[in-house]
Amino acid sequence: MLVPFFLFFACFVLYPILRSVLDSFTNYDLIKKEFVGLDNYFRLFRDKTFVRSVQNTLVYAACSIVPLMALGLIAAVLVNRQTKIMYAARAVLMYPYVTSMVAVSMVWMYMYDPNNGIFNKLLLAVGLDPQKFLYDPDQALWCLIVMNIWKYLGYVMIIYLAGLQGVPKDLYEAAGIDGAGSWRQLWSITLPSVRPVSYFLMTTLCVECFKTFDQVRLMTNGGPVNATTTITYQIYMRAFSEFKMGYASAMSVVLLLIVLVITLVNLKLGHQLDDERGGN
Amino acid sequence: MESKWFRRIGSAVLLISVIITAFPFWVMFSVSLQTMQEIYSHELNLWPSFQWGNYAEAMTNGPWGRYILNSLYVTAGSTLISLFINAMTGYVFARMQFPWKRTLLVLVLIGMMIPTQVTLVPLFILVKNLPLVGGNNILGMGGTGLVDTYAGLMLPFIAGSFGVFMCRQFYIMFPKELDEAAKIDGCSRFGTFCRIYLPLSKALLASLGVLKFIGAWNEYTWPLVITNTGSGRITTVQLALTAFRNEGEIFWNLMMAATLVSTGIVLVVFVCLQKYFVAGILAGSVKE
Repeated sequence: MLVPFFLFFACFVLYPILRSVLDSFTNYDLIKKEFVGLDNYFRLFRDKTFVRSVQNTLVYAACSIVPLMALGLIAAVLVNRQTKIMYAARAVLMYPYVTSMVAVSMVWMYMYDPNNGIFNKLLLAVGLDPQKFLYDPDQALWCLIVMNIWKYLGYVMIIYLAGLQGVPKDLYEAAGIDGAGSWRQLWSITLPSVRPVSYFLMTTLCVECFKTFDQVRLMTNGGPVNATTTITYQIYMRAFSEFKMGYASAMSVVLLLIVLVITLVNLKLGHQLDDERGGN
Repeated sequence: MESKWFRRIGSAVLLISVIITAFPFWVMFSVSLQTMQEIYSHELNLWPSFQWGNYAEAMTNGPWGRYILNSLYVTAGSTLISLFINAMTGYVFARMQFPWKRTLLVLVLIGMMIPTQVTLVPLFILVKNLPLVGGNNILGMGGTGLVDTYAGLMLPFIAGSFGVFMCRQFYIMFPKELDEAAKIDGCSRFGTFCRIYLPLSKALLASLGVLKFIGAWNEYTWPLVITNTGSGRITTVQLALTAFRNEGEIFWNLMMAATLVSTGIVLVVFVCLQKYFVAGILAGSVKE
């Protein structure tokens, strides 16, 4: 009964990972394949576009995750009431998360469009200068970050909401009797109790940000002048437009290592937290 | 006093965030029903002028009926197969003892963490060089393998470590007496799973199914790679949407109409199964 799953798992998960690692030591280009040792990795460090893509991905991840966690927690606190309106609000906030990145990219591409887009029409209507948004090397990455925050807010909210609902209600009642105001309750009860959930969210969002590809390919093609190119976009370009499979595999391995490190660090931090609590 | 103000400010903030969240969807809707003249004008106009013809035009931009059927076929097919395999594997991990059980379970967990982008390149090569299909010989050479086929589109979605883990967590809470009773009645392991466990897992299958359905429907990268060299015979909705972007002059109204159609299907699934969807994403996050 285990055979079907592990057949698929071995073929389409384990084997490709192994293959990535092996191919990363070759110059495979779909025709020839020769062992080149660590050459691909040395080239990666000198590849300015790749270094730029790592920088972009890091900025993108950091600047998405911090606001997302903060706003998501606030939203979760606000919708944490069992009324019909709150259920409706949750559904609306969740909807961008359910929508495909392609659809989201299309709408935001229109809104960001310098000539006909909604944002420039809004800016003109209130008497401000129109912007170039995705066509401006200084703005493009930030445009993608804003869109990313919009898309994932509902997801962060719903995970935090579950965390909040796990907090016993008596805690708040007791705090209220002791004269702790809403702010105080938020600070002393809510925040500490969602710490484990925060570690989970941080890991998931990090991995999600490092996977960023669809919107880059659709909205900017990595441009202008590589301002929005990401690691995954580089992998795609090297592999499927230049057919440098070996080189792209080396990039994949780097991505894999980054993701592994993030996951392990977060796991470790999460565990340390548990230990501290156990000790007290 | 403080609490009252706290609530008022809270409601205002919430209202604003709901409006901001909904705004792009409103833009999608209103622009899809505008003329290009309205879109080209510099005046801010957020109201639709009900050009329903835009939808007919967008849907005849390509064989959209075919795109939607392609997407439905691939999504439904991979979801159903994967659900059955995930549930069965979850059952085995929850109920049966066998050598290497822990190691295999750890492997599944590792599989959960690996983003598919890491394996994109070898996965493509593998599907292209699969032996004995698509004109390939026994060594996987000569043909195009499963590139540009429905099977090629579906295969990578079938494994699904997350589903196995979720099913295991669900089945481990079932009473062991179920299995014992079935065994006494002469039911095999597979029979027990099919006749007792599966009918009892409607909530689980709905949660996991809606997650898988939405995930597969929204997928862009893998279809892009696997239909890249082909004729467009198996083009999915997401790929077809991007065609509106490639033309010299972008017809934003048609693009928004098609986008709305593609998200509408997900909206229906989401609204009907919201409870299960939320239960599904939470299953992966909250340990206790």
